[in-house]
Amino acid sequence: MNWLISKTMQDLYPASADFPGIVDMGLDAYLDQFKAEAPALMYTGLVAGATLYQFSTMMTVGKPGPAMLLSDELRDEHARKITATSNYPLRQAIFLVKMVAGMCWGKDERVRAKMNLAPYQADPGTWRSE
Amino acid sequence: MTHIAFRDVGQDVLRDVDFVVVGSGAGGAAAAVALARGGAQVAIVEAGPWRDPEDYPESAYGAMRDMMDDWGNTMAMGDALWPIVQARIVGGTTVVNSAICVRTPGDIFRQWRDQHGVGGDAYADRMWKYQDLIERELHVEEVPAHAMGRSNQLALLGDERANLGGHVMRRYVKGCAGSGQCLQGCKGLKKQSTNLNYVPETMTRGGVVLSCAPADKILLDGQRAIGVTGHFQHPTTKKKGARFTVRARRGVFVAASVTHTPVLLMRSGVKSHHLGDFFRAHPGTGIFGVYDEPVDMNTGATQGWASTKFRTDPGMKLETLAIPLELVASRLSGGGHQLVQRLTKYRHLAMWVHACRAESVGTVRPTAFGLSSKPMIRYGLNRADMERFREGMKTVARMHFEAGAKEIIPGIQGMPYSLTPDQLHVMDNAPLDPRAYVAILSHLFGGAVMGQNPRTSVCDENGRVHGYDGLYIGDASAIPTNLGVNPQHTIMALAMNAADRALEQR
Repeated sequence: MNWLISKTMQDLYPASADFPGIVDMGLDAYLDQFKAEAPALMYTGLVAGATLYQFSTMMTVGKPGPAMLLSDELRDEHARKITATSNYPLRQAIFLVKMVAGMCWGKDERVRAKMNLAPYQADPGTWRSE
Repeated sequence: MTHIAFRDVGQDVLRDVDFVVVGSGAGGAAAAVALARGGAQVAIVEAGPWRDPEDYPESAYGAMRDMMDDWGNTMAMGDALWPIVQARIVGGTTVVNSAICVRTPGDIFRQWRDQHGVGGDAYADRMWKYQDLIERELHVEEVPAHAMGRSNQLALLGDERANLGGHVMRRYVKGCAGSGQCLQGCKGLKKQSTNLNYVPETMTRGGVVLSCAPADKILLDGQRAIGVTGHFQHPTTKKKGARFTVRARRGVFVAASVTHTPVLLMRSGVKSHHLGDFFRAHPGTGIFGVYDEPVDMNTGATQGWASTKFRTDPGMKLETLAIPLELVASRLSGGGHQLVQRLTKYRHLAMWVHACRAESVGTVRPTAFGLSSKPMIRYGLNRADMERFREGMKTVARMHFEAGAKEIIPGIQGMPYSLTPDQLHVMDNAPLDPRAYVAILSHLFGGAVMGQNPRTSVCDENGRVHGYDGLYIGDASAIPTNLGVNPQHTIMALAMNAADRALEQR
């Protein structure tokens, strides 16, 4: 289901004049890593959030989903409106997608350079085994 | 020095010691070192792996994966879902917190005496002596001026103008360099988390540390605790490993955190009327101030300013808190081009927070039918607490404007994205629905509370579980009320006291 999550994250963090889009930040590899490492329940939540995002377009732009089939303008409008929906479970589910995407977007060294932040070194993932 | 990490199936571990301590955070490490100093042979059993500073991650992703309990996804469920932030690593949450040191306020001991029959003046004196010792040993000092960073400096200014009675934080940090990486672990060895001091000292005094070792059960012989058992868990693959059993000749300390200690006791068959009850917390959230000049909030101490002036009325603590860019990216509301446009202001943002001294109580229980080792936390805020919560938001907003913010970003569902100084009154009508806020529970209390009466409490003032021999609570689970201040100092003092009293038992 990573393709569905990827499509959703691309809508949430698109390219702009200031920043590259999340799609250019190694998103596929990031999602593969996330799926392999995160708790199953969290990944399931991510899939649920992405699915809800894709099929909630009637609520925001009055068009049936999935969002990925809409025009760029409508998808951007959907991204803006659905993240502010008054439906709490829906907002929370999409917040999870946004948070996991934000961890990919915010560690990109081009973004960090624009923010006057040093690039991250790779997370070692090591531990004391002896 | 003996450290036993993950062992694969077939390599079972059996140890005999005087005391076994479950958990290596503020409470567990403090109890363990006190026991070891008293001449006892101690084993620390820690669910998470041992990561040295060179193993620490830098990114928020790495911190959630490598440091946090369940990736930071333990949720308190009530009207809203609010995450609980705690670590699962040798050193516990002391590795990922901001090492804030606040002495237990005197009124807390009087409250414990009046409401729970424990504490009182003599008890307070004893606790403060432990806190004197801890402050010396862990090099408690104010954040040095060169490490404050712009966000903390602005907070001092806002505080002065708004008369909030704040101060530069005192922390368990030796020579802070202001690297802004408290939440990912301090690679510079400045923060005095317990994996750098009390845990190694316990080992040099003959102790043993089992890491990657989540305890399944406390072993009981009738009403006497005689050890701990469980299975190693691989920190990366989560694969179940060999069985470990640590037999304790003199006692078992449980310091596995407010969410895990009550569940471990229940799973072990410990009976107590109010086990898992009286869960309390400091729910908190932040407001961004937007300033003309760059703030670069991730430069300088992650947290460097605080005020406890409002701890008793209306009941809140104010602090600065610089969250990593990755989390700012999701914390700002919006999506699509609107969101990335909002993020262009990142360098001009300062995040300050309030922690609400909530009176509401909740429960901690095991997952139904034992389907998971994950604790289930039920917790919601009543109206009075939500009013306190809103008051905290308003105070932080006012402070930002006094410090010169051109606008604030309250992050409240249903309210404008940003407010200018002339719109501050809008905060008076901020919703009292917890679902409107993105909040976290940062400091936890209760679940195995102390008290004189076994019918209304789980342990006595020295951590001894009522009705059991050799079984002690050594963490914030024992704290029966909401402190209104950062709890690490209180937890450590309570744990050291419990350890010293346990040493007197023969």
